[in-house]
Amino acid sequence: MKLFSSVFMFSKQAVKGFISKRVERWLSKRVPGNYEHELSNRNIFIMPTRFGFAYLFFDVLLFLLGTNYQNNTILLLSYLLASLFITVMMHSFYNLSQLTFSSSAKQFTFAKQQAYFPITIKAKKTHFNLNFQHIIKNLPSLKKAQSQKTQSQKVNIEQCNTGEHQVVLPYLADNRGVHQLGRVKVFSEYSLGLFITWAMLDFSHQLVVFPQPKKLRSNHNYLSDLNDTPKSQSNNYLASAGIDDFSELKNYIVGESQARIAWKQLARGQGKLSKHYQNQQGSLRWLKLSNMPNIDIEAQLSCLCFLILEYSKSEHDFGLLLDANLSSITNNKNQPHMLKIVPSSGYQHQQNCLIALAEFKHDMVD
Amino acid sequence: MTSKQTTLFDKHANIFELSRQNTWLLWCCQLINIASLSAEISSWMLAVLALCLCWQALLNNKKFNKKTNGTAKAKVNSKISSVLLTIFALSGCVAIAITAGDLGVLISMVHLLTFAYVLKAFEIKQRKDFYQLFLLGLFLLASAFIFKQSLGFSLLIFLALLLNLVVLQQVFSPKRSLFLSARIVTILLLQSSLLAIVLFVVFPRLSPFWQVPNANSAKTGLSDEVSPGDIANLALSSDLAFRVDFKGKEIPHYSNLYWRAITLENFDGRKWTRVKVNNNEPSAEKAFIPLTSGKPITYDIIAEPSYQNWLFGLSVATTSEAKLSLIEDYTIQSRNVLSQITHYSLESYLQAPLDLSISDVKKQQNLAIVAGSNPKLERLALALVQKFPNPIDRSNEVLALFRNKQYFYTLKAPLLINNSLDQFFFDTKAGFCVHYASAYTYLMRAADIPARVVTGYLGGEYNNASSSLSSIQAKQGGHLSVYQYDAHAWSEIWLEGVGWQRVDPTAAVDPQRVDSGWSSTLLTQQSSLNNDLLGLYQFKKIEWLNTLRLQLDALDYQWTRWVLGYSSKQQYDLLKRLFDNDIHWKATAIIVSMLIITMVLLTLIYRFNLNRLKQKKVHPWLKLYQQILEKLAKKGLIKSVDMTPADFAKTVTQQFPVISKEFIEFTKITECLMYKKVSVLENKHYICHQKKQYEILKKMISNI
Repeated sequence: MKLFSSVFMFSKQAVKGFISKRVERWLSKRVPGNYEHELSNRNIFIMPTRFGFAYLFFDVLLFLLGTNYQNNTILLLSYLLASLFITVMMHSFYNLSQLTFSSSAKQFTFAKQQAYFPITIKAKKTHFNLNFQHIIKNLPSLKKAQSQKTQSQKVNIEQCNTGEHQVVLPYLADNRGVHQLGRVKVFSEYSLGLFITWAMLDFSHQLVVFPQPKKLRSNHNYLSDLNDTPKSQSNNYLASAGIDDFSELKNYIVGESQARIAWKQLARGQGKLSKHYQNQQGSLRWLKLSNMPNIDIEAQLSCLCFLILEYSKSEHDFGLLLDANLSSITNNKNQPHMLKIVPSSGYQHQQNCLIALAEFKHDMVD
Repeated sequence: MTSKQTTLFDKHANIFELSRQNTWLLWCCQLINIASLSAEISSWMLAVLALCLCWQALLNNKKFNKKTNGTAKAKVNSKISSVLLTIFALSGCVAIAITAGDLGVLISMVHLLTFAYVLKAFEIKQRKDFYQLFLLGLFLLASAFIFKQSLGFSLLIFLALLLNLVVLQQVFSPKRSLFLSARIVTILLLQSSLLAIVLFVVFPRLSPFWQVPNANSAKTGLSDEVSPGDIANLALSSDLAFRVDFKGKEIPHYSNLYWRAITLENFDGRKWTRVKVNNNEPSAEKAFIPLTSGKPITYDIIAEPSYQNWLFGLSVATTSEAKLSLIEDYTIQSRNVLSQITHYSLESYLQAPLDLSISDVKKQQNLAIVAGSNPKLERLALALVQKFPNPIDRSNEVLALFRNKQYFYTLKAPLLINNSLDQFFFDTKAGFCVHYASAYTYLMRAADIPARVVTGYLGGEYNNASSSLSSIQAKQGGHLSVYQYDAHAWSEIWLEGVGWQRVDPTAAVDPQRVDSGWSSTLLTQQSSLNNDLLGLYQFKKIEWLNTLRLQLDALDYQWTRWVLGYSSKQQYDLLKRLFDNDIHWKATAIIVSMLIITMVLLTLIYRFNLNRLKQKKVHPWLKLYQQILEKLAKKGLIKSVDMTPADFAKTVTQQFPVISKEFIEFTKITECLMYKKVSVLENKHYICHQKKQYEILKKMISNI
């Protein structure tokens, strides 16, 4: 019995998978990805809702009642309700047609945070009851239902007047990485809830999810020399801290060693400043993945993320070196997964570094 | 943590709440839906329903007041506990079940439906609850039609339907004003009414699938037992009894419109009853075919439901309709109880005699009197027999007595002790038609002339307003509406060689009643006895109001005739007329096939066009490339199909080194456009670039 049921389940899943694949392929042909979509009979789908079917059932009941009582008024009423069903179908379709949506493809966010996809709506007439939702794809059906609710929330517009409007579609990112989001389902049950009209729009929405920043102890400097091995790094830092010539005072950044705080200035009430040395500027400008104080690579990336944000805030120059913490890798510098971003500063640099973190794939290392 | 959040979120998503305005609208809607059935619901149930609605109103009020105050606990308080609701529902169901015996199945069902409808409103938690309420409401409205179908009522139900739909629509467009919503719903309904009418006309009328409980409403109209004073009660009712359409032909004079309903031949001293023929074997009853002569008149009758079997017609009436049966006493019966509007047509021979010969049994029946019940009348009869050997003279003498001895025709007849005809004839001398008919018939029987009482309706209100509405149907005259207050009783005496002769003693007392209708004194009497009729009486006096009333009546007549009376027979006739007699199924087949062929052709053309359009719809950049190829072909350089653009570029370089650099660039961009996946912006950039390159190349090639 168990075997049978499992076989049955398996085949059911297979069939489901097959169908959804076919549907997906058909959809991608019919409604190809674009940054702008105009709704028309090409991309609008329409189906009676459950209420619609219940309504039809009731209408048939009324017809039976009218026929059994040979009552023409009841029959007339049932015909009227039946044709109302068809009229409402038309109205439901027209409510959704001629809408134009446009949306930019890429969005950035940190893990466990909401990303917002703005969608611009151009309406030539007044539309009612518009709902938007991302459809999560590539997930087993059970998980899908759950994540559908947690990750992509439904956004509802009760009335959309003529003109241009913007709706913001939130999406909760849970994992670091670059995610291709599914289609956006635009649906409406106007005018009487008998029909649901919907369109599956592919804006090629892409979400770049940076790691969740993880706060680090502040009495430590994580910048290091490019060629340092991870093991000697801390010694090197200890040595270099005292020797080098003092160059300037800068605003203290969380993560810098407490030893470097300019206590004198602090006592004078000039704020928390840190002493900087010449040598450090020269070579200790690299943030390395392998230097991060954690075993788990995701946690390390989280730390890096935090540091990148901190250093960018204080307009520090830094470079990023994404290497795995395995010792074997240090020998071979030509590994494809090694990613190096030369030291720089500014918003663009920060963005580049964060994207690199998001895109980093550590599976390739193994 | 996340799962908790999920459930919270779920609950929030499923909570369904109506706006303040819509909640009250729904409440009104419920009130109206229930009101549509209020006439059928017993008073205790009405009280329960009213209580529930009041309760609901209080809850609504509380809910919204608290919401404005901003207390979060309001919701919890404003919902009554489900236990209480269940107990209430159960006790209600038990009460309905207990009373079901008295009320009948149908009315009990209506009770149950309305009760459920009211209770459901207490627990609208999700959208589906609201939907259920809506559907129940629709069903309620439909079931109201079982009991009443007049035009006015139907319009009211239509308005109620509109309101129901507005409530539903407001859920999906809460920001829209009520007026706009109502407008949209009206548009929706009007648009769908077109198809509804087509369906109504064309969709085949089916016979009932199974037996359904009928509304056991009280019998209305004439009854088969008549004692003096009975019809006077009926005369206070202004309800419609039936309508007659003479199909545009001349309507007989008012004094000839004796609509026969029941013939009463038994008299037990107090009341007149029908003779029940062959009570044991009703099936053995042979079909009665009355002898006819003279010119017939044909007419249609649309009878209102009376929950009896009697139908109405002018004697001598014949019919070919199977649902009717003609009876030996020249009355017509329907095989089924008239629980609905009934449409039938008759052919009447007004001049034809009734029963030129009758059997001895029949004769004895119509001569029978209870000896000694009215001794004074019997003595008078004996005197008449001695004085007048000719039966007609005896009859005329009695009528002369009525005419000359100051008898009054009145609705307010004094009560008679034991329905004594003596008392009426010699003392009170005031009564309504049955008094006169009874006394006259009794006298005739006592005077050895077979006589009987016939009840039915006299006259009717002629309404010409409908002629303008259906110009095809009735070129000359509209229809005749016969109301309950037209109920009448008269007598028939049997004379040798003449048959049954109609004699109306009322004509002797109040000639106006027989000639043109109610006299003004009678009308004032009538309206003083019944306040409803006061309005009607006043209406009739003011001319424009009366025309309006007549027009409304005409509208209602058309509604009854075309909508309520639209049966499968009518449907068949109408369709036949629409498509003419000559068009047979062959022609129909040709039309249908033509339609199908044109549709197929149209779709084919559409498809073909689409394909051509698709072919034409190559990308503009590919077009440019092809144009360049054409230009080169003119110069003698043809790109074979198996050649890639890059290969071709090489040959071009060999042949025309002048344009080699530009052509290679052009090819490269084209290839990029062909194969490279690029963003929209990049794509635009490439296309722009390609265009420029194309212009340059074009010039260079033409220079070669």
